[in-house]
Amino acid sequence: MNIATLAARNVLRNKFRTIATALGVGIAILTFVLLRTVVSAWSDAAEYAAQDRVATRHKVSFIMSLPRRYVNDIQQVSGVQHAMAASWFGGKHPVHEKDFFATLAVDKDNFFQVYNELEVPDEQRASWLGNRRGAIVGRVIAKKFGWKVGDRVKLAGTIYPGDWEFDISGIYDSKRRSIDLATFFFHWDYLNESVEARSKDQVGWVVSRIDSSARSAEISKTIDGIFEERDIQTLSMSEKALNNSFLGMFSAMLKAMDFISVVILAIVLMILGNTVAMGVRERTHEYGVLRAIGFLPRHLATFILTEAALIGAVGGGFGLLISYPIVEKGIGRFLEENMQGMFPYFRISASTAVAALACGLVLGLLAAIVPAYNASKLGVVDALRRVG
Amino acid sequence: MNTSATAINKGAASNIIELKGVTKIYMRGKERLAVLQDLDFTVPEGSFEALMGPSGSGKSTLLNLIAGLDTASSGRLTVAGADPAAMSEGERAKWRSRNIGFIFQTYNMMPVLTALENVELPLMLTKLSGAERRQRAQTALRIVGLEDRMGHYPRQLSGGQEQRVTIARAIVTDPKLLVADEPTGDLDRKSADEILDLLQRLNKEQGKTIVMVTHDPAAAERATRLNRLDKGALVID
Amino acid sequence: MAIPFTYNLRSLFVRKATTFATAGGIALVVFVLASSQMLSNGIKETFISSGSASNALILRKGSDNELSSGFENKFLNLLGAAPGVKQGADGKALVTGDLVVVLALDKLGAEGQVSNVQVRGVMANTFEVRPQARIIEGRPAAPGTDEAIVGKGMLGRFRGLELGKQFDLKKNRPVTVVGVFEAGGSAFESEVWVDIETLRTSFGRQGLFSSALAVLDSASKYDAFEAAVESDKQLGLETERERTYYEKASEGTAMVIQGLGMVVFFFFSLGAMIGAMITMYGAVSQRTREVGTLRALGFSRGAILVAFLAESFVLALAGGVIGAAASLVTTAFKLSTMNYDTWQEVSFSFTATPGILFGAVAAGGMMGIIGGFLPALKAARTSPIAAMRG
Repeated sequence: MNIATLAARNVLRNKFRTIATALGVGIAILTFVLLRTVVSAWSDAAEYAAQDRVATRHKVSFIMSLPRRYVNDIQQVSGVQHAMAASWFGGKHPVHEKDFFATLAVDKDNFFQVYNELEVPDEQRASWLGNRRGAIVGRVIAKKFGWKVGDRVKLAGTIYPGDWEFDISGIYDSKRRSIDLATFFFHWDYLNESVEARSKDQVGWVVSRIDSSARSAEISKTIDGIFEERDIQTLSMSEKALNNSFLGMFSAMLKAMDFISVVILAIVLMILGNTVAMGVRERTHEYGVLRAIGFLPRHLATFILTEAALIGAVGGGFGLLISYPIVEKGIGRFLEENMQGMFPYFRISASTAVAALACGLVLGLLAAIVPAYNASKLGVVDALRRVG
Repeated sequence: MNTSATAINKGAASNIIELKGVTKIYMRGKERLAVLQDLDFTVPEGSFEALMGPSGSGKSTLLNLIAGLDTASSGRLTVAGADPAAMSEGERAKWRSRNIGFIFQTYNMMPVLTALENVELPLMLTKLSGAERRQRAQTALRIVGLEDRMGHYPRQLSGGQEQRVTIARAIVTDPKLLVADEPTGDLDRKSADEILDLLQRLNKEQGKTIVMVTHDPAAAERATRLNRLDKGALVID
Repeated sequence: MAIPFTYNLRSLFVRKATTFATAGGIALVVFVLASSQMLSNGIKETFISSGSASNALILRKGSDNELSSGFENKFLNLLGAAPGVKQGADGKALVTGDLVVVLALDKLGAEGQVSNVQVRGVMANTFEVRPQARIIEGRPAAPGTDEAIVGKGMLGRFRGLELGKQFDLKKNRPVTVVGVFEAGGSAFESEVWVDIETLRTSFGRQGLFSSALAVLDSASKYDAFEAAVESDKQLGLETERERTYYEKASEGTAMVIQGLGMVVFFFFSLGAMIGAMITMYGAVSQRTREVGTLRALGFSRGAILVAFLAESFVLALAGGVIGAAASLVTTAFKLSTMNYDTWQEVSFSFTATPGILFGAVAAGGMMGIIGGFLPALKAARTSPIAAMRG
C-alpha cells in the first residue's frame, strides 16, 4: 500500500462522481485539442511550406502581372535551378460554384522540377506534357467532383470570362506537406493564346526552385535587385516566408483561439476544483482520524494532490482518446475535404497530445491547492467533530 | 473500584498522566468559556480510567488534552513522561503516533482500505518495511481475534468487528496509553460487551493504560477507577 | 461545551467556492458563445452596411468580385440610361464607376510584414452616390491629383496611411493622404480612395472600371434595371443588389467564425453542464435530511423537483449574466483579419445585439436546467424517512 494505490482507491470511492468529472474534463480537453489542432494545422501551411522555392511577384500589387521575359532573367540568377511562370486563373466549377479550389496556369517546361513533391505516374506526366488542354489536378478535388483521368471538364472563368475546356491528364498526390491536394494546374500557353492582346505575355508570378534553402533570403534579394531599376519591380520571398506573411493577416484570429484555449483550461480547473473540494469536505472526519494517529498536514495535502492529479490525468487521457475519432477522423476529414486551402492536413500533433495529458494532470494539481490547504489548516479536534 | 478522584495511588506504579492546575478556555465570539477550571488529575500507569459526566462537562476536552490533540490554556500537563504542550504541531503528531492509541465512536476506518491495511496505517509513519508492517498488523488483528477477516473492507464488517479492528490499529505501535471516546456508543449490547472484554484484557494482560470517556454505566463498571466531571471540574463523591 | 465555529465557517466557504466554480464555468461558456456571435454579427454588419438595397452593383459577367472584374469606360453611360436609375441634383444619372486594386503596404507594428490594402479609384461624384461616406478629418482628394483619403478603419495599421503622410502607388508615384473618411461602419472604412485616373495610369488600367454603382429610384426598381442590363448581351455585364453582393462577400468568413463558435460552444456547454450536475448532486446528498423533512411535512415530489431545478436554474442564470456582461468588454476591441472572399484585410468589431445577449443568458439558464435535472430528480425521490436518519 502506498500513496498511489491509496489515491487510486479513493478515486473509485464515488464512481459516479469520478466518471462524471472525467467526462466533463474529457470533453473540455477535447475542445482544447480541437482548437490547438485548428491553430497548428492552419500554421502548418506556413511551417511545412517549401523554403527551397521562391515566389517572385509584382512589388506593388499581387493583381498586377510581370512581363513573360522576367522568367528568363530569373533563370539566369546564380542559385536558381529552375524558374517557371505561373498565373492565377480564378476558375470555378460550373455547377459547384461555392467549392473553392486554386486554378493555376503554369509553364510546362520546368513544372515537375519546380514542384518536385508532386507524385504523378509517368504516363500521366507525358500525357499532360503532350496535351495543350491538359490539366493535372489534386486528389482531393478529383474525388470531390468525380473527375477521372481522361475526362473532359469545363471551368467557368471569373477573371478570364467564359467557359474553358480541359482534359484531365493526371491526378497528383503528395507525401510532403508543402502542397495542398486541391489545385488545378494547366498550361500557361493555353491561357496566353486565348487572352486579348493587351493581356498577352504576362505572368502572375514566377516560381523558382533554388539550390539551397539557407540561401532563400539572399537569392530573393538578388532577384529583386535585377529589376530594381526597371519599370516593373519585383518582390521575392520563399514560399515559407510568403505563407507566414499570409498567416500574419489572420494573426488576430489565431490569438483569439489561443485565448479561448486558455478559457477552456479555466473551465477544466473549475470542474476539477469542484469535485476535489466536495471529496475533501466529505472526508473531514477521516482526515481528523489520520491526524490523530500521527499523520501530518503535509501528508494529507499529498494524498489530496495525488488523487486530484490522478483524476485530472484520467480526464485528460479520456479527452485525448475521444479526440482521435472526433477531431481527426470526424471534423478533420470534413475540413480537409471542404477547406483544403486552409487545412490541407488536419492531424493532432504530438505536442498537442502531450499538452492535453499534461494539462489534465497539472490542472488537477492546481485545483487541489485550495482544498488541500483548507484541509491542512483545519484543527484535529474540529475535523474529528464532523460526522460523515 | 476507587471513586475518590483525588486519591493518589501510593505504591510502586508511577503516574503516566499528571495534570496540575489545567485550565482550558474557548472563545465563543467575545465570550470566554472556561471548559476546564484549574484541574488536577493523575492517572497511574496500568490503570483503566472511566470519565463520565453530562454534556458540556469537559470530559471530551480533558481526553483531547491528554491525547495531545489539543493544548491547555494554562497549567501543567505531563503524559508518558513528556509535555505535549511544549512540542510543535509536528513533534506532537510524531509523539502521538508513538505513544497513544486512538479509539473513536464511529467512522474510525478508511472505507477504501481493508482491515489489515487500516491496521497498518500508523506503521506507515515508521521506517518499517512493507512486509514488517503487514506482519505486525496481522499480529494485532490476531490479538483482537479478527485475523481471518483481515482482507475485508469496513462495509463487510459489523459494527463490533469494526471497533475491534480499530482497537487492533490502536495497539499496533505498542503504545503505553489507549484513549477511547465513547467506544461502545454505537454498538448493541452484545458487541459492546465484547469490546469491553477486549479492553479489559488489554489492560490486565498487557498493562495498557486506558482512559475512556463513556455514557455507558456498564462500560464504567469495567474500569479500575471512575471519574466524574461536571462544569469543568472533577466531582468528589 | 462550546463548539468552535471555525469549521462551520470553513465549510460554508467551501460550499461558496463550489457554487462560485459552477457559476464561473457557465459564465465562461456564455462569454465564449456571446463573443463569437458578436464577432460574426460584427462581420455581417460591417459588410451589410456597405450595401444598400436600392443600389445596384454592376460587374463584368462571370466575375465573382470587384478584383477579378473589368469592363470598359463606355458602358458607364449606357448604365446611366437604364430604367430606374435615379437622377442627381444636376439632372445627371447617379451612376459612378470604380477601379479596385490591391496594394502591398508595410504593416505598422509588425516589422517587415506586408499586407494587402484595398485601394478604390473613384470618380468625382462618388460622395454623391455614396451619401453614407463623409469626410471626418482633412478634405476630399481633388480630382486628377495624386491625393488620397483613408478610411478610418485603416488608421494606425499601415505605414503612410495617415493624414499628411505619403505612400507609393507605384515606384516613384507617391500619393499624399489629405483626408480621413468614415462610411457608417462599412467595409469601405478599410479602404483607401484615390482619383480613378491616377490609379488607372499607375496600374496600367486606362479606360477600365472594375465595377459600377447605380442608385435606383427605389428598391423595387431593381428588377427592371437588372432585366435591362443583363438582357443586352453586348454589354457582357451582370448586376445584383449592392446589399446582396456584400452579404455574399462576408458569408464565408462569418460562417467560419460562427461555425467554430458553435462547435466550441457545444462542447463547452457539455462540460459546464456536467460540472453543474456534479455540484447539484453534491448539494442534494448533503441536504437529504432537509429534503426528507420537507417531504414529511407534506411537500410533493413535484414541488421538490421544481425547487431544485429552480436552484440550479438561478445559479446558472447568474453565471450567464456575468458571462454576458463580461462579453460586452469585447465591444471595445477590433479584430482585423483577412476576408477570405475578397483577400483584403478588414477590421471588424464585436457588435452586441439584445438578441445575442438574451440568447446567451438564456442558453446559460438552459445549461443549469439540463445539468440540474437528474440531481433534482434524485432529490424528488427522497423519502420522508430520510429526515430521521442521521
